[in-house]
Amino acid sequence: MSDKARQLQITGLAKTFATKTGSVPVVRDLTFDIHEQDFVSIIGPSGCGKTTIFNMIAGLLDADAGTMRYRGEPVDGLRGRIGYMMQKDLLFPWRTVLQNCLLGLEMRNVDRREAREKALDYLETFGLKGFENAYPSTLSGGQRQRVALIRTLVMDPDILLLDEPFSALDYQTRLHLEGVLVDAVETAGKTVILITHDVDEAVALSKRVVVLSGRPSKVKAIHDIDLASHSPIESRSDPNFSRYFHLLCNELDIQTQ
Amino acid sequence: MSVTASNERGVAKAGPKPRAYFQLSGDGLGGGLTRGLLQLVVVVAFFVAWELGVRFGGISGFLFGQPSGIFANFGRMIMNGQLFVDTGYTALEAITGFVLGTIAGTAIGLSLWYSVGVAKLVEPFVIAMNSVPKIALAPLIILWFGTGYSSKIALAIAMTAIVALITAYQAARDADKDLQRLLRSMGADKHRIFFKAVVPSSLPAVIATFRINIGFALVGAVVGEFISSQHGLGHLVFTASNLYDLNTVWVGLFSLMILGFALYHIVNFIERRVLPWKQDLSTRQVAA
Repeated sequence: MSDKARQLQITGLAKTFATKTGSVPVVRDLTFDIHEQDFVSIIGPSGCGKTTIFNMIAGLLDADAGTMRYRGEPVDGLRGRIGYMMQKDLLFPWRTVLQNCLLGLEMRNVDRREAREKALDYLETFGLKGFENAYPSTLSGGQRQRVALIRTLVMDPDILLLDEPFSALDYQTRLHLEGVLVDAVETAGKTVILITHDVDEAVALSKRVVVLSGRPSKVKAIHDIDLASHSPIESRSDPNFSRYFHLLCNELDIQTQ
Repeated sequence: MSVTASNERGVAKAGPKPRAYFQLSGDGLGGGLTRGLLQLVVVVAFFVAWELGVRFGGISGFLFGQPSGIFANFGRMIMNGQLFVDTGYTALEAITGFVLGTIAGTAIGLSLWYSVGVAKLVEPFVIAMNSVPKIALAPLIILWFGTGYSSKIALAIAMTAIVALITAYQAARDADKDLQRLLRSMGADKHRIFFKAVVPSSLPAVIATFRINIGFALVGAVVGEFISSQHGLGHLVFTASNLYDLNTVWVGLFSLMILGFALYHIVNFIERRVLPWKQDLSTRQVAA
């Protein structure tokens, strides 16, 4: 793999939190690469510090040790370059759907009219036409998360950091949004890092899966997922799907037999 | 799109109208008109009972006043304009004090969000100031500001500013941290986070304080007028009670009630205009 294709290199990242009962090492010696236009899922036992890793990548939290290089340049974090999406949709209740979609663009002082048109395009594609002036409180959970996804995509970030974005949704809505996500990032050529506790989702969507060990977390294994399609339904019916599924469950010490 | 089935499901839901989850106005008392009539009947019955009680039931009109006399005084004071002058003074003092006190208190309270250090430093002083019953400051304030309307405004400010400050600071501190983190991840600086996340999310609490503070401002104005004044509804009530003119006292009190009622509804109106996104919620939550 040439240096150019590596979009983000994470080397030896570590973080320890001080608590009243002493210091808790959460992440230790974390090393992995993200390629250009990659779709990487990070899975691991619950409470293994996945969100901490994201916060360090996002530049919301300083690492104790280790380096990050973005396209070869050393960086402290990717603040302003990433689109961050969490399990909670984090829509601003006082903003309409359209105003919520425009939030990231406002932060970048993008031309208003241009931003508006872009957001309206996305709203139409995502089946939210007619909801532009509705407040989030009137939307369903799936609709809200779609708005959050538009808000993330419309900023045109270099890397999407998705922290269990669909885990609060019902299965049907989830499959639908997974499809929307895969389509959107493929069309726009985006890189995605997805945290999930759902092995099934990780295999279906990702090109690669990073398996973390329990706390303090470090990389246990990295697997390439070689499926013909990564659209959520087709990939789940791929003959290789269950092989990867069992492989990853074994890595996580989940009994599947 | 590969998941056409669920996509269609999403589209089928489209349509900007929020679905009505709960049946409203199922209170068994009919619509707004019926309720209004019922409320009117209660008011009329109250005054009729009072009047009859004074005439035939042995209630002392001297100590309690008498509705017919109250209405007569009310009419006379409207005709000669005195009631408008007094109401105008009290309203002006209360509103000016409310606006200045609330703006200053809210601005300081919100901006304490910027520095936890400064906030911690100031906290005991704020609590100490809040512990003083502001009414106790009235004699001092009248010494400083004189017997005109400025001392009443100052008293209304004293009544409202600290409450506004404490509420605004708490609301700013409780503003959703995840929303702030999201803005930070988008590259927002501290000022952006303050104006885009902290201020708007504090507004409901801040405006809820308006409703309390409008009452406090009235208290400040009226107490100031009790102590020393030439005009105002407090002046009217105080001088009339010294003369045992209970009917005029009631005119003053009912005028204060109407004034407070009007101010409360003005605040409600402002709230609806400033917080349109809250309305969707409050109208839907009724009969959960």
